[in-house]
Amino acid sequence: MFVEFSSVLRATMLGVQLGMTLALVAAGLTLIFGMLDVINFAHGSLYMMGAYLGVTVSAQFGSFWLALLIAPLAVGVIGAVIEVFGLRALYGRNPLYHILLTFGLAVMIQGLVVEIWGGQSLRIEAPASLAGTVQLGPVEYPVYWLFVLAISTLLIAAVWLMIDRSDLGILMRASAHDTEMVDALGIDVSKVFTGVFVFGAVLAGVAGVLLGASRSVNPGMGFGVIIETFVIVVIGGLGSFKGAVYAALAVGLVTAYGALIAPSVTDIFLFAMMAVVLMIRPNGLFGATEAA
Amino acid sequence: MSLLDAFDPRETGSSTDGILSNRGRFGILALIAALAVLGPVASAVRPFWLYLLIQILVFALLALSLDFVFGYAGLLSFGHAAMFGTGGYAAALLITHVTANALVVLPAAVLTGVVVAAFIGWFSVRARGIYFAMLTLAFAQIFYVIAFADLPSTLLGVETVTGGDNGIVGLATLETFGLLDLSNRMNYYFLTLGLVALSLLAIVRLANSPFGRVLQGVRENEDRMAFIGYDVRRYKVIGFAISGGFAGLAGGLYVPFQSLAQPQLLNWTLSGELVVMLLLGGLGTLWGPMLGAGVVVLLEEQLSGFAAWEVILGSVFVVVVIFAPRGIAGALVSLWEDPEDAIGNVRDALANYREKVMK
Repeated sequence: MFVEFSSVLRATMLGVQLGMTLALVAAGLTLIFGMLDVINFAHGSLYMMGAYLGVTVSAQFGSFWLALLIAPLAVGVIGAVIEVFGLRALYGRNPLYHILLTFGLAVMIQGLVVEIWGGQSLRIEAPASLAGTVQLGPVEYPVYWLFVLAISTLLIAAVWLMIDRSDLGILMRASAHDTEMVDALGIDVSKVFTGVFVFGAVLAGVAGVLLGASRSVNPGMGFGVIIETFVIVVIGGLGSFKGAVYAALAVGLVTAYGALIAPSVTDIFLFAMMAVVLMIRPNGLFGATEAA
Repeated sequence: MSLLDAFDPRETGSSTDGILSNRGRFGILALIAALAVLGPVASAVRPFWLYLLIQILVFALLALSLDFVFGYAGLLSFGHAAMFGTGGYAAALLITHVTANALVVLPAAVLTGVVVAAFIGWFSVRARGIYFAMLTLAFAQIFYVIAFADLPSTLLGVETVTGGDNGIVGLATLETFGLLDLSNRMNYYFLTLGLVALSLLAIVRLANSPFGRVLQGVRENEDRMAFIGYDVRRYKVIGFAISGGFAGLAGGLYVPFQSLAQPQLLNWTLSGELVVMLLLGGLGTLWGPMLGAGVVVLLEEQLSGFAAWEVILGSVFVVVVIFAPRGIAGALVSLWEDPEDAIGNVRDALANYREKVMK
């Protein structure tokens, strides 16, 4: 099987771009897990809502940039509603019930999307300023994809700086580490929880708009992306931001190379990768080791 | 409580010594007798109801198989669709290529379920809790992709094996040396009911046996069981394989009934739905998950006529999990024990909810 060098290069770039965008979704999922102890099955649905709201806003105002701004914020509002009226009632109970709740929400949102936007495939119009391709060495690469790569990478770097360096990040990590102690120090942990969930939702919304202009927007995309993101988060180690980013890159690359070698069975590579990682490191690459 | 401390069914699982009290056993016998009467009645009123009842029984069996590993051994499988689907595909392949004899097809489906579960289990029991769940999910998805992309046909160089996206269609009905005409839906119903009843009996016996007690011990404290000298991994794999056998049987009953085996049977959404059935019904009670399966199948079937049926179905899940934390089984038990208190309970639940949300 001979594959041209330029297509390998192209696949590499595509993989990195896809990985960074998926990292936006996975970062939210892993932060929510790390802090709230919630496996958010509805996270893919938030990503999907970002894409659909992006379709509507960009069609309404004819501006991709407005969609990129408004849609994620609207998804953040949806996230706030889910956290306050749904998850809050379940904290302190067996975490299994979060799965049932968010699974129910995911089914609900999928139904709503079909009801509002219909079952057909839609698309966000990418801005004219980002149309066309550029020549990068031997590869002809769409400008929009470069833009997606740049903005995703910037956002991931910003999130990392925030978690690692800012006071807010310290507060978040502290709450994840010992909720009771932070609570005892006079900080309203429930607000931190809501904040983290909304933050994760906004990131997923951004990813939805970004990929909505390069992949198709359809009612199945929520359930589609959630499995990809679970794989990422589990490989990286649940709750680990760093792990999620590395794993997202790996998944992006495997998806892109897989499409080159055997497009119909790419998913097998992903799941096999996850299985191998878990068999060698049962808690993922950067997962907490004390966990039983 | 941390999710990483493994999914902990202790809180929700049955805490009683016996799996079923004598009253419970009697109740189940009464239920089976009632179902035996209900079938012909439902069929007489509306033939479609019999179809629904068979569907419910199959999913009840599947839910039962998951409750055995999850409720009793504490192993949350997020890939039970793998055993259900491969059991179903085994049945479909046998019917198309070899024989439609139920005495061959159904045992083969069970065996396939056992083998697949032993394979998945052997790899997956290395990880615990949510990571175990994700490993089972990964293996199940691999089976899904294999069926969807019809990988066997590529490997064997033949035109088609699994039929890819379309699946294997137009299957003949099962036969039993001409003893029982299974193209008659009523007979199929009784066959299914009988097998489900036998499976339930077997699982109750298993759960109460020394083997079942070890599994429960593993659920309660895995490390201690290992110190005592039990080969914990081996017990888990065997428990998982047994559960897989019942899931395979469910698949083997479902596919000839639908006369269709499709990749969707192996997809994770089915595994997810199954977990919902368990939680909705009441984990670790054996009868609760079967009830949950009935409720989910009925809801899906009844609601699918409505425009936004998924919205309603999702809302039901959400409301149940917030207001009936122990599932339908828990709600029924508390209603049975103290019917007068039911209104008070509802008021308490609402007040509790308001307090938590307003915090």
